[in-house]
Amino acid sequence: MPDPVVVEELTKTYPGGVQAVRGISFSVRPGEVFGLLGPNGAGKTTTIGVLTTLVRPSGGRALVGGHDVVADPLAARGSIGVVFQDSVLDNEFSGLANLRLHARLWRVPDADARIASLLAAVGLTERASDSVRTYSGGMRRRLEIARALMARPSVLFLDEPALGLDPIVRQELWQTIGALRAQEEVTVLLSTHYLEEAQSVCDRVAIVDRGEIIALDDPAGLIAAVGHQMLDLSVDDDATEVLAALRELGEPIRSGSTVSVASSESSEALTERVGALALSRLGVETMTVRPTTLNDVFLILTARRVAGHDAVAVGVGS
Amino acid sequence: MSAGAVALYRRRVAIAVNRPIAIVSQVLSPVLWILVVGPALAAAFGGFARNLDYFTYAAIGQIVFIIPFSAMFAGLVVITDRDFGILRELLVAPIRRVTIPLANIAAVLTVAMGQLALIVVLAAARGAHLHTSPGRLVLALAAAALLSIATYGLAELLAYRITQPQIFGTLIPAIGATPYLLCGAIYPIATLPDGVRQFALALPWTHCVAVLRYGLMGSSASGLDAIWHLHSEVEMALLSVAVLLVFAGLTVGLALRAFSRATLR
Repeated sequence: MPDPVVVEELTKTYPGGVQAVRGISFSVRPGEVFGLLGPNGAGKTTTIGVLTTLVRPSGGRALVGGHDVVADPLAARGSIGVVFQDSVLDNEFSGLANLRLHARLWRVPDADARIASLLAAVGLTERASDSVRTYSGGMRRRLEIARALMARPSVLFLDEPALGLDPIVRQELWQTIGALRAQEEVTVLLSTHYLEEAQSVCDRVAIVDRGEIIALDDPAGLIAAVGHQMLDLSVDDDATEVLAALRELGEPIRSGSTVSVASSESSEALTERVGALALSRLGVETMTVRPTTLNDVFLILTARRVAGHDAVAVGVGS
Repeated sequence: MSAGAVALYRRRVAIAVNRPIAIVSQVLSPVLWILVVGPALAAAFGGFARNLDYFTYAAIGQIVFIIPFSAMFAGLVVITDRDFGILRELLVAPIRRVTIPLANIAAVLTVAMGQLALIVVLAAARGAHLHTSPGRLVLALAAAALLSIATYGLAELLAYRITQPQIFGTLIPAIGATPYLLCGAIYPIATLPDGVRQFALALPWTHCVAVLRYGLMGSSASGLDAIWHLHSEVEMALLSVAVLLVFAGLTVGLALRAFSRATLR
């Protein structure tokens, strides 16, 4: 079975010269949840825009469901469902009417049964006839997910689906997405800057920074590549000496009053080595060792880029 | 029409129908004209040039108020769809993108034909003297339809160019209603000063109201001769329909171009 999403050397430069995407390549395997992770402005939404035919690429090639998004956009659109970053519902109508419009546009067979099934799956059956203006943020998101799955797409795009939702609703949303994904057997491509949530949802992730993929692997692989233990030190304003001392362990990064360094050593071995550095005389107040997260991976990789290191450290292009 | 186009058309008609306040506010002025103001003016000033019935003359003029005003008002939906609503969802649908504005136009045209029917029925009920024939009726309907398409094309064009709904809102009366005052809807354009008359002759509203009167009242009432100075009323009516066709083609063409530019970055 061919990969449902294939991106080759994709570039996008907007009028005015802003290079949003700079030659990225990746493919999404059938049935997997693939995450594009990175900060705001990294190029994630532009990439999804190209794949959903909303943005015309400046160069490269993108296939969705086997269809070239430039040469055959109608066929590409016929194989996708999209949940946008902002809520994109027809506020004039009820939840049911929103789903019916989608069913007609995508020519969904046996639409009434499909709508009833999806409304039940996202827990909106009771509110289906209410105007979507009366829906909470979480309900709007659930309706949009149901709508995106209506036509049984081969690829579901989720562009920052958890943006603006409170933590409880975000957790419910990810549970809903996980359950529906298993039920619908759909390939999912999502973008998010909630890296730790993505870690629990995605089979593979590409970390995107300033329009380029700086790492691509499964979350465990990315973490293993930088070191599975993270040492956090609380420091005062001048951390120059601490940073210099920590270079014996790895590449320290500073975020506010915390200096962190990743390591592949066990926590016991790491604690022992740090003890030998006698950091308390350098103003270190507290020290903790914890598992490395995707957020740490992102900070380390972007810090390497800033420092001019080789960014291609962990499987880019795999 | 494809299933997608029908779905979009039905959506826009439903939006128009689901806003009773908007429907009432748009038709209030012309309905008042027909029920109250027109008969009052006709009673106060008596007949009209060439022994025309002023009430019937002005009642038909109300059609070129309601259709463009309503079309401009419908342009607001484009802005709300783009800024707060469903446009992006429609753009990722497996339909040709041009279907979206064309379905909008079809829906606005449907509403316009309903408004035309309302005006004609009310005018007839209030005593207007309407005289038509199948051929002239077809020309009148074509003129009304083309004015609706042309002004909605203009509304779509402006809606994609103007980012702030409040600015678009100020254009609704300016574009939707002001030409009505200059086009001969309530008085003959021959009475206008030269410069203003030349401007009025370039307005599609002027050609529409003249063809509507030709179609619904008869040749002597049309005012087509004041536009074209020819002998054949049919020829002049066809020329005015052609002007409307050109204007509609221009605004719709520009609107489709603006839609394409606004929706594919």
